[in-house]
Amino acid sequence: MNPKQARSWGKDLIGMGLLLLFLFLFLFSDQLSNTQYIQDLPSAWVNVNTIFLSIVLEAIPFILLGVFVSALIQIYVSEETIKRYLPKNALGALFPAAILGAIFPLCECAIVPVVARLVKKGMPLHVGVVFLVAAPILNPIVFMSTFFAFGSDWTHPVLLSRMGLAFILSIIIGGALYFIFKNSYQLRAKQQDIHEHHHHQTHSKKPGILNRVKETVYHAVDEFFLMGKYLILGALIAALFQTFLDRQVLQTIGSGEYSSVLVMMGFAYLLSLCSEADAFVAASFGQNFTTASLIGFLVYGPMLDLKNTFMLFAYFRAKFVIAFMIIVTIVVFTAIILLNQFVLPNWYQWF
Amino acid sequence: MKHYDSSFHAFIQGIILIGFALLMLWLTISGNIIYYIAPKMMPFVYFGLVTFFILGTVQIFRSTKKEANHEHGPSCSCGHDHQIPGPPLVKLAIYSVFILPVLLGFVLPDRSLDSSAAQNRGITYGSGNAPSVTQSASAAETETKSNRAEAYLDDPEGYMEQLENGEGADTEDLEEHYTIEDFYDQEGFDQYYKELANKLEHQDVITVTEDNYLDIMTVMDVHLDQFIGKDIEIVGFAYREPDFEDHELVAARFSMTCCTADAGVYGTLIQSDEAKDIEEDTWIHAYGTIEASEYNGYRLPVITDAILNEVDEPESPYVYPSFR
Repeated sequence: MNPKQARSWGKDLIGMGLLLLFLFLFLFSDQLSNTQYIQDLPSAWVNVNTIFLSIVLEAIPFILLGVFVSALIQIYVSEETIKRYLPKNALGALFPAAILGAIFPLCECAIVPVVARLVKKGMPLHVGVVFLVAAPILNPIVFMSTFFAFGSDWTHPVLLSRMGLAFILSIIIGGALYFIFKNSYQLRAKQQDIHEHHHHQTHSKKPGILNRVKETVYHAVDEFFLMGKYLILGALIAALFQTFLDRQVLQTIGSGEYSSVLVMMGFAYLLSLCSEADAFVAASFGQNFTTASLIGFLVYGPMLDLKNTFMLFAYFRAKFVIAFMIIVTIVVFTAIILLNQFVLPNWYQWF
Repeated sequence: MKHYDSSFHAFIQGIILIGFALLMLWLTISGNIIYYIAPKMMPFVYFGLVTFFILGTVQIFRSTKKEANHEHGPSCSCGHDHQIPGPPLVKLAIYSVFILPVLLGFVLPDRSLDSSAAQNRGITYGSGNAPSVTQSASAAETETKSNRAEAYLDDPEGYMEQLENGEGADTEDLEEHYTIEDFYDQEGFDQYYKELANKLEHQDVITVTEDNYLDIMTVMDVHLDQFIGKDIEIVGFAYREPDFEDHELVAARFSMTCCTADAGVYGTLIQSDEAKDIEEDTWIHAYGTIEASEYNGYRLPVITDAILNEVDEPESPYVYPSFR
């Protein structure tokens, strides 16, 4: 047996070993969990584990949806199509992008691979950013959950401000990023040159539905492994914060008009909740925080949170991600303060 | 890294995907998934489970093909790195990250959150009786049936002050109709709880179950006066605030919308001589009489002279908001 064969045997063994380990765990999980050693773990760490797994298990189906949509775009949508439908004026594209963001019902986990893919396919960066921040909030499920959580009231300030701000701010954020980055290339993946582009043309003309399905699946798996690790790490850190950060402390530091908004925005960032469920969490804070800070929580969290940041770093250059984070933070904070000064005090005169 | 053995990586990735699928399958079969995901999210879990099995199988087949590189070699233009980057150690670390949740899921015990998490999150008494934004916004509404606009017009400054400070309503105004299962518009909503209150008034003993937990929490807040003196039985885990006296206790439940990360805690105050013998986190069945009381300045129902029995954890330790 030559060394090459030996190595490939070794690799097969590693894989088989892993599979056997999983099967063993699958069959004997109950007995393992009941051993005294594991039962004696401090309950705080069991709580971390519970929250960690719950975030991972809940996010995974949506990540899968996201990578599948991304894979489908990769295979079925050509650069030419995107170019054709995009308005020629760079800033003119912002408004339709926000409307499109409202139509795409994608949550903040699924949107990252989709946007990265669209940008890769030639969608301008700032238009992608509009999608990225608008889609997780401006979707029917989020609208309904916010509606229920805040008293089933169509004119509730939290509900309407959340949706309105998401729409307006996504355009502002997209515009601001356009002025910084113009049309420069900010993805981590290598830029395609014309030669590859050409290659792709022949590539996608490959006949046969089976081949296309196979390609979609391969793309989806590769992308899952590209970004899944960031999701898992983000979920782990978010679980640690959820367990060890005392929420009572938040109230004491967050009682001022400005500080409460900042605290709730920071809190939304750390908690990394799904945009579908965060309204209920916000409602449970209701008694201790101002309306403005709750809106901050609900607008900022879906646009930017801990697990999201990790995923952005997987696709985009660090410089861009940091600029994006700073701009989103400043824009949301300013908007909330303005809202609190001028809009909220007169709310019920208008409705 | 001279040669990237894509067939080996496809193999390992396939097995990890199968591992995820096995974990989800096991959690579903054993029913322990209820500790992590709300029942209404289960279709997504099934979707993930099936997809992982398919993807894992496909990936393992992909690894057996010698020419796996053929379609996705470096010349592919799909615009992302198909390869796990870095030296072997980094690759190992990356795969460990993926294996971690599978291992933790299998090895660590599946439990619901406990009182330490409850303390951290801060417990909501009753249905969230305290004047939250919604509540103070509609504070004046219940008794007078005036709407919010009128409330505002009556006293614009005071009204907005309430709205902004989230406080300032006196206890009379706290009768309240905010709840997470609030589906109807305001009138239909009030109507629902009024009917529920009237129905419960004719029962000898109010039995709080998983299904009606949040409803009854709400109705007891809104129409507390109707319930004073009635008997009630309730199940929850024992919890104590640091400032509690020996005879005071809370029967608490976590409420989950989508996953455990968004769980909130609801609790009912209990006063009983037996309370001091109950350890925190044990599940208790309480039977007692409803009285009105105050805690932290809020008017709340409290179960007095309660008989407490330790019970097993209910099959569904969490309660879920129902979007009727």
